Amino acid sequence: MEGARGCRMMLVTRPDYDPGTKYLSSWSQILIEEARAKGIEVLDLPGTKATKSEFEGRLKKKQPSLVVLNGHGNEDCVTGQEGKPLVESKVNAEILSSSVTYAVSCQSAARLGREVGGYLNTAYIGYEKKFSILHSHGYFKRPSEDPLAKPFMDFSNHIVRSLLKGHTVEESVRRAKEVGETHLRSLETSLSDPDIQMAAAFLSRDISCLVAHGDTVKCIIY
Amino acid sequence: MNDSKTDQQKLSDEEIRSLVVARLSVLSPDTYVSIGSDGSFSRDELIARVQAGDEIGKEIEDIQLEWLRSWKARAAAV
Repeated sequence: MEGARGCRMMLVTRPDYDPGTKYLSSWSQILIEEARAKGIEVLDLPGTKATKSEFEGRLKKKQPSLVVLNGHGNEDCVTGQEGKPLVESKVNAEILSSSVTYAVSCQSAARLGREVGGYLNTAYIGYEKKFSILHSHGYFKRPSEDPLAKPFMDFSNHIVRSLLKGHTVEESVRRAKEVGETHLRSLETSLSDPDIQMAAAFLSRDISCLVAHGDTVKCIIY
Repeated sequence: MNDSKTDQQKLSDEEIRSLVVARLSVLSPDTYVSIGSDGSFSRDELIARVQAGDEIGKEIEDIQLEWLRSWKARAAAV
C-alpha cells in the first residue's frame, strides 16, 4: 500500500509499567492500527523498548514526521519505561526538531514544548498542567474498553487522527477540543451520576491545558 | 473583580475542602483517578489526600472548583 503523501513515518513510545501508562499505551495501539491501515510506517516502542537509546536511535535514523510520546513527565521532560527520561529540555530536545510531536504527558508543554517549538519547521502539542484520567477497576487488561475513560481517549486520540487526516497542528488541536467539548456536553446531562460528573471535571481540565507551540500551521500529510 | 476571587472570598479553605470531599464521597469504590506520575487513586485515597491538604489534595480541589465555576458559567449562558 502506498503511504500517505508527506507522512513517511510515525514514532510512538508506549511505556506500560503502571495504570496510567497502560491506558495510554492501549489507546495508542488503536492509533497504530489506524496509521498502518493508511499505509504509514509506524516505529513502535512498547514497554521495555521505550528507552532513551532506542528512542534516540530510531529518531536519528528514520526522522519520522510525527512523534507520539506517551508517558509521565514534567515541565522539562517526558519519560519512557519506568519513568526514565526520553527527552529533556536543555539536554536532547533538539532531537524532535523538524517533526510534529504530541506528548500525552503532564506539563511538558510548559517548558520542553516551548523549547522544541522554537526549532525551525517544528511543532509540539502537549499539556501545560497535569494530564489526568478517570478509569474503572477491572479494565486494566482492556483499557480501551473502559467506558469511564473513553471520553479521555477520544479527546486525546483525536489529535493524532486529525493530523493523519492532513489537518494542521492548530486545526488538530481545535478539533480535538471540539471532541472533548462534545463529550463534556454529553456528560453534563448525567447530573445524577457522580462518577460521570467527576470525569467531566477532569476532562474539562485536560481540554483547557492542551496547547501547541512552534509551527502550528504545519501538516504531516500534504 | 473576577468570579474566582469572589468565590475564594465567599468560601473558606475548610468549606472548599468539605465541598470537594462531599463530591468525592459519592464516587463508586471502583472508580480511580490517574493523576500523571503521582499515581492512580481510589475514592478513599482521594478523600484522604484532600483532607490532608497535600499537593494532590490541592490539585483535586483546584480542578473541582474550576469545573464548578465553568459549569456555572455554562448554565448562565444557556
